[in-house]
Amino acid sequence: MEAELATEVANLKAAVEMSTAVNLEVFYWWCTTVMVLIHAGFLAYEMGASRMKHTLVAGVKNILALAFVIPTFFFFGWWIYLAMYNGLVPDFAAGAAGRPWDMAMGPNLADNASGVFWAAFVLFAATTASIMSGAVIERIRVSSFIILAVILGSGLWILAASWGWHPDGWMTQKLGYHDVGCAGVIHIVAGFFALGVLINLGPRIGKYAPDGTPVTIRPHNLPMVLIGLMLIIVGFFGFLAGCAIYNGSGQWVNIYNQPMTLSAYAFNTLMGLSGGIIGAYLITRDPFWMMSGALCGIISSAAGLDVYYPPLAFMISFIGGVIAPICANYLEKKGIDDAVGAVPVHGVCGVWGIIACGVFASGYPNMGEGAADVNLLGQTAGAFIMVALGLIPGYLISLVMKKVGMLRVPEEAELRGLDDVEVQWPAYPESSVHGVSDAVDGQVTPEPATS
Amino acid sequence: MGSPIESWDGAEAYFTFAHSSGMTGLFLAASVAIVAAVVVVTIKHENKSFARLNDKVPESLD
Repeated sequence: MEAELATEVANLKAAVEMSTAVNLEVFYWWCTTVMVLIHAGFLAYEMGASRMKHTLVAGVKNILALAFVIPTFFFFGWWIYLAMYNGLVPDFAAGAAGRPWDMAMGPNLADNASGVFWAAFVLFAATTASIMSGAVIERIRVSSFIILAVILGSGLWILAASWGWHPDGWMTQKLGYHDVGCAGVIHIVAGFFALGVLINLGPRIGKYAPDGTPVTIRPHNLPMVLIGLMLIIVGFFGFLAGCAIYNGSGQWVNIYNQPMTLSAYAFNTLMGLSGGIIGAYLITRDPFWMMSGALCGIISSAAGLDVYYPPLAFMISFIGGVIAPICANYLEKKGIDDAVGAVPVHGVCGVWGIIACGVFASGYPNMGEGAADVNLLGQTAGAFIMVALGLIPGYLISLVMKKVGMLRVPEEAELRGLDDVEVQWPAYPESSVHGVSDAVDGQVTPEPATS
Repeated sequence: MGSPIESWDGAEAYFTFAHSSGMTGLFLAASVAIVAAVVVVTIKHENKSFARLNDKVPESLD
């Protein structure tokens, strides 16, 4: 009788363990699935934001970012995350499970976790690359974009994540850096990488009048832009859920192993989204900026999603929604042609979000012996590190590409339209004349930038 | 050929050629080569497209 009971308990225990493992897989599988919507959104967003003659190449570029980041993240990205948490000296033992030939990096009945975690991280990586993608539309070469996307998506962001989005990361432990929703490790890095590239890439032809006045180049399909942005926001719910660690037998924890609830993310993501839209609406009354404001709001609150009082998240995000359009106008006047506002939305709101977390969430204890608590100095230093990690490589690599003539398409190709030159097919064959798409595409309206 | 297991009992890593580091290395190297080669092909495609453009740019765009 006693032996039967012991067997029964052992069977039940095994069943619960298996159920926990399978539930973990199911959770991250669906987070990843929802995150794919981010890329559907970026696709619609960037194609809509382009002028008609560049529509398809904007889409090609976006699709290739996803396609190239996936294998390169398998080749070396996952290893970087596992091995580089100390800084620039790898921990080869810790990184072993991320080597592309390791037994964990393929179907394995003893490992239900590696594949789904890897997949979620891949989608984070592709999102990072896609953030840069929209800023450079209509004039970057597809080949140079692919190289930049791989460096950013499979290299820089994941290095940032290993430092500041890892329970043993040196920024986590020494600075008390807190960034549960990746405001810094993804958005700052991607936004400022894009800025570095934009400095060398230069503005689209016609973006500035001869006297230097910015000219508004309108999206050829604003409704598609808005739908794309809404899809990105839907995808962000999968993204943020994927930032939580499913424990199965215990409370959820964040990436730093601090206890949390998904309810916290639910409160603050929605309040942040709302604050960002309202802030951007107040400043611009512009539907493009209202939807971008939703992203600004989520990004601004992302660092402290797990701990904010929801009205505080609303306020932080409201400020994010206000400052992003102002920064966009400032950059435009300084000669930076950021076609979709990637630098202010992701870079600037990311910086604001990280610092705001230091202001409002200081004192939350970190995990691990001797680890610093969350503090303003650590958050500020962390924001600077993330800016540098994006801006410096983005600037230097694109500078080299520019010097060897492989960064930007020739002027003739840009004027004619990249669809005609590169894919030799118009996006809207029934409303354009092949070869002379300039005659029918969105007009460049000389008008001063909004202030 | 590719199966590393003869029974599902006690099976762990069961992906094709898990028992052969030579074969997994071969497929890995081939994947890396394809990714790198397609970037090179893209550069060539662009160069060719841009060169061809010089022959057909309308005068109004000169």
